[in-house]
Amino acid sequence: MGDLVDSMLDLMRRLPPTHVEENVASLVAMCPDYADDLLGSVDQPLKVMTDRATGKEYLACDYNRDGDSYRSPWSNEYDPPLEDGTTPSPKLRKLEIQANEAFDTYREMYYEGGVSSVFLWDLDDGGFAGVVLLKKTLNPSSPGEPSGSWDSIHVFEAAERGRQAHYKLTSTIMLQMVDRSIAARSAKDDSAAPGAKSPTGEKANGNDAKREGEVTLSGSMTRQTEQDFPLQDSSSHIANTGRMIEEMEIKMRNLLQEVYFGKTRDVVFDLRSLDDLEKARRQRELQKELVGFIKR
Amino acid sequence: MDPEERIQAASKFLLQSPPGEINDVLNDVRNIISDDESLQAGVLPALREYNLAQFITADVPGHQHQSIVSEAARIPSGSAEKEDEQSEDRYWDPRSRTSFRFDHLSLETSDPEHVEPDPESEPFRAALETASLTYLSSHYHDGVVSVFSTPGSASRYIIQIVANKYNPSNFWSGRWRSEYIVDTEAKQLTGKILLNVHYYEQGNVQLSTTHNVSLTLPPAITTSGGASAASKVLALIETEEGKYQSSLNDTYAEMGEKTFKGLRRALPMTRSKLDWDRVLGYKLGAELTNSKGVFGNA
Repeated sequence: MGDLVDSMLDLMRRLPPTHVEENVASLVAMCPDYADDLLGSVDQPLKVMTDRATGKEYLACDYNRDGDSYRSPWSNEYDPPLEDGTTPSPKLRKLEIQANEAFDTYREMYYEGGVSSVFLWDLDDGGFAGVVLLKKTLNPSSPGEPSGSWDSIHVFEAAERGRQAHYKLTSTIMLQMVDRSIAARSAKDDSAAPGAKSPTGEKANGNDAKREGEVTLSGSMTRQTEQDFPLQDSSSHIANTGRMIEEMEIKMRNLLQEVYFGKTRDVVFDLRSLDDLEKARRQRELQKELVGFIKR
Repeated sequence: MDPEERIQAASKFLLQSPPGEINDVLNDVRNIISDDESLQAGVLPALREYNLAQFITADVPGHQHQSIVSEAARIPSGSAEKEDEQSEDRYWDPRSRTSFRFDHLSLETSDPEHVEPDPESEPFRAALETASLTYLSSHYHDGVVSVFSTPGSASRYIIQIVANKYNPSNFWSGRWRSEYIVDTEAKQLTGKILLNVHYYEQGNVQLSTTHNVSLTLPPAITTSGGASAASKVLALIETEEGKYQSSLNDTYAEMGEKTFKGLRRALPMTRSKLDWDRVLGYKLGAELTNSKGVFGNA
């Protein structure tokens, strides 16, 4: 019998990403002793919260949670309020403020909207770790419009080695896109068909066809990398992790594009061919015959 | 959670299995539940529900082809004397006029019996089957089709198609299911197409689609129309599925152009990456000129 947590993680890699929250909740209820292991290793869509002090939105995840409260990166306050909630040391908090400012600029440049949050925490060995969160949601203005959401979770560890720093980065991007206009798209061909305009026409040429449907592409991908950068002062950490995360997001965006729009589509066309396979087979045979004929 | 709730939760996981991965999910669930005895009996209904809904294919005993195990293929347990659940699990393959017992865990067939078809509906059913097999080989790489008549009706037929590709060594799998109900009396063709693709190399990405269609059958299509009427039905299906597949292509393009780009740009408007030193510089400058930043009590 393998490790229980491994089985839970394998299960989460197989079940539909659209149901990750309810499936994690279900696993936690089944195995409450392993709740922390599971919640710490399965990425779930980020929740958007509003900072009570500044009115600014921030993101909630396992890294800024203490009990049932979440810490805002803007005011450093917990919501619901906590008397003795964990906060970074004053020195690290200063860096956290700077990092939030910088990644807010990054967010605006690449996402043109959405929400970002950075949380840092001290490590026992003297270094520190952090998480950079970015989320953007597209809400359809009408039912036919596409909708989608992007959640980035970048967890890093920084270790200072004199004038150098070593960074370990684990990045997960959750991406979901839903399209409900595919039925309208299949119907477009109907009206283009001759005679389709007469609604009382005897011949059924599809003009009375009713269609509805939905296309959902959803999932997450995770990648890791390690890198050394020079260190001038503590704010170098922000530029260093910033470059690393920017590079990673560019790489992963390409990867997501390849998998979502390339790989999954290829599998569909591997199942069913738009062209007539029999015709192609006959053509190949005919070609073979011709080649044989010429050789003779 | 009591044992019964745990089995229920496990059953829900099984029903969400991606194509070709039910055994992997079952293995995970076995480890999590760690009570094989209650699991084996408890999840059988979920396995049955999954197999029937997913159009799982079975090797027809004594024949070289496969048939679809679905609700339409199920032989109703005749009498109340057969109380045990197993007796419900007989399915028929109209093509070979064979019924068989199906094990929902091992997916094995056994105990074949001859089934005499209903003489009234069989001719048109057989014509639809011939046309369907031709259509299948024209558009599916590894498909299975089954055509069923409806007990007690000579005007209602069900065409089911399934195509699977499992490629665990390259971390992907896919399933295409379609079902059409041909009603020659109501002159209706109602269908649905369901697609599932799973890609799981260092991640978990899934495509899932639904498509429902209903259209009117031309008056020329009648059960007495034989082979020509049957090929007309399949021509309608071919057009619909072709159109659907093309519009899926358009949907991919649309999602890539609008949704994906709308969520995150490939590069900022400036067409170059961020100058992080300047980002930090700007922010420091902004803080100096505007001491009341966004940070409340920083």
